[in-house]
Amino acid sequence: MPATRTRLILTTALATLLGAGAVAALAGFVVLRAGWYNVAATTQHFEFVYRMLEQAMHYSARHHAQTVLVPALDSRARIVRGAALYHDNCAQCHGAPGVAPGLHGMGMQPTPGPLVDASRHWKPRELYWITRHGIKMSGMPAWEYHMSENELWDTVAFVMELPRLSAADYDAMTAAQPEAAR
Amino acid sequence: MTAPRQVALAALALLACALLAGCGDQRPPGVTAGDPARGRIALAQYGCRACHMIPGVTGSEVYVGRPLEHMMRRRVIAGKLPNDQPNLVRWIRDPQAIDPGTAMPNLGVSERDAIDMSAYLLGH
Repeated sequence: MPATRTRLILTTALATLLGAGAVAALAGFVVLRAGWYNVAATTQHFEFVYRMLEQAMHYSARHHAQTVLVPALDSRARIVRGAALYHDNCAQCHGAPGVAPGLHGMGMQPTPGPLVDASRHWKPRELYWITRHGIKMSGMPAWEYHMSENELWDTVAFVMELPRLSAADYDAMTAAQPEAAR
Repeated sequence: MTAPRQVALAALALLACALLAGCGDQRPPGVTAGDPARGRIALAQYGCRACHMIPGVTGSEVYVGRPLEHMMRRRVIAGKLPNDQPNLVRWIRDPQAIDPGTAMPNLGVSERDAIDMSAYLLGH
């Protein structure tokens, strides 16, 4: 008798789980297919959804960057080249000290974060990995298709330097950039 | 429908109207212009949330610019201007004119958008 009873309980539990799962899947499909979810950039994610996606991005970048080998980044020439690359390719979305992002960068969702504090959150190898491979669904391109290996590291070297730069420093560093320095 | 029920319904409808009207007109003291609801979206669309944490605007935990909660309780903005709506609009539109050394850029905010932003910020 106990065996039959146990089997009945298990069958009921399983059927309930499967039934609930099927109903949830159907409800999800209806919401999706009816277009009820609003994709407008003027509607926001819930804070907890945003935080969860952002955390996942952090964990993923940290994990995947573990095997990256970091070259020497402290040479002045590298940082100066990185400044020019940053000014040409990054500031449009991420801005710079005293420099606003372009209109498209400003309005992007998720907002491309400022990079002046990036070195507080990321190691150089992680910045390299993100710059090289980009971030899915965020608008961050994979720069390995637009920059050489050396240029990627130049850019990282400059981003590591960013917290030490005032608006005036950034201006001086990028304004006095002759084309030949690249 | 019985008469008492009709009266009760009418009273409820009146109450609902009064509540809605109350919400619509609600502007915090010191805020004389602007649409806070529009301001909230403008704060996201000009990328303010990239550097500033703003109550009610979703984004990362970030301390590049100072968090903008309890704005109406501040006496001074940008370290020198008395905190009122016109000054906040001036600061939002051209921070470098007020503090040439600031890392906050001029984001090209239109006057209408700046007024709406200030209305939202001063109410939260």
